[in-house]
Amino acid sequence: MNVVLVRVDNRLIHGQILDAWVPFLQAEGIVVADDGVASDFFRETVIRMAVPREIEVTICSVADLPKSLSGERTDGPKTIVLFGDVGAAARAHRAGFRFDRLNLGNIYSEECVVHCTPSVQLDRRELEDVLSLLRAGVVIDLKRVPTDNPHDLRSILQKALSGEENRL
Amino acid sequence: MIGVLVTTHGNLGIELIKAAELIKGPMKGVVHISVDQNKGVEDLKKEIGTAIKKMDHGKGILILTDLFGGTPSNISLSFLKEGKVEVVTGVNLPMLLKLPDVREGMTLKEFAQFIKDYGIRNISLATEILNKKAAG
Repeated sequence: MNVVLVRVDNRLIHGQILDAWVPFLQAEGIVVADDGVASDFFRETVIRMAVPREIEVTICSVADLPKSLSGERTDGPKTIVLFGDVGAAARAHRAGFRFDRLNLGNIYSEECVVHCTPSVQLDRRELEDVLSLLRAGVVIDLKRVPTDNPHDLRSILQKALSGEENRL
Repeated sequence: MIGVLVTTHGNLGIELIKAAELIKGPMKGVVHISVDQNKGVEDLKKEIGTAIKKMDHGKGILILTDLFGGTPSNISLSFLKEGKVEVVTGVNLPMLLKLPDVREGMTLKEFAQFIKDYGIRNISLATEILNKKAAG
């Protein structure tokens, strides 16, 4: 499949995905890679009901993601891949699901250490995960919907972490 | 009395309630929770869970949300419970106006079904009605 967006969003599939990203990207499929949903039949059913029939939904655990995408043609249906948290995206990347760009949508953290935008707050562990992704060459932008002005994570962190050792 | 919780994107819910009160006077037993970009999913779950507990006086709670598949609806669905919590999506002003008229004497399920049907029935294409009238 042709992955047109890789996104981290605590809310997984919701209004911003269905009413903004899907029409903007003309996506034909959505992959939800989330251990919680993959093991919860009720949540899976709710997600499947919410998505219009013409969009194909795949739900899998994070560990199964590289497997469920392998062997797919890269010119196949345009697909959005969603993770529920930054840790899941980092794990998938380490496990061989490679992506050059990552979009951060809605991420909330009770123990936020970097308040990037009103909708993206990272805690210590998430910060470590995005730093490792940045070091691996992934470009990370912050955008809730396609029409938002994108914020580049690298420059946000450079400002926020300027007091700490240079880890970027 | 069946409790009613309106949960929507932004201030849509509170404004719907305000509009309904403008027409019909104060609405009893109707509360609103707004979902905006500054609230996390866990916080919202807590907020909605607390509201359900507070408003349930034994007859259950009807949750009205704006958009099936949206965050307010997704979170509300996690509270679904036969006889206790029902969720109707696509809330509109006619639904809110009808709440006080029918909530006594119905079970939660009947109430939810009635409000859903009523909301749908009150969406009209004006020219369609006019053409029907002219033809009839």
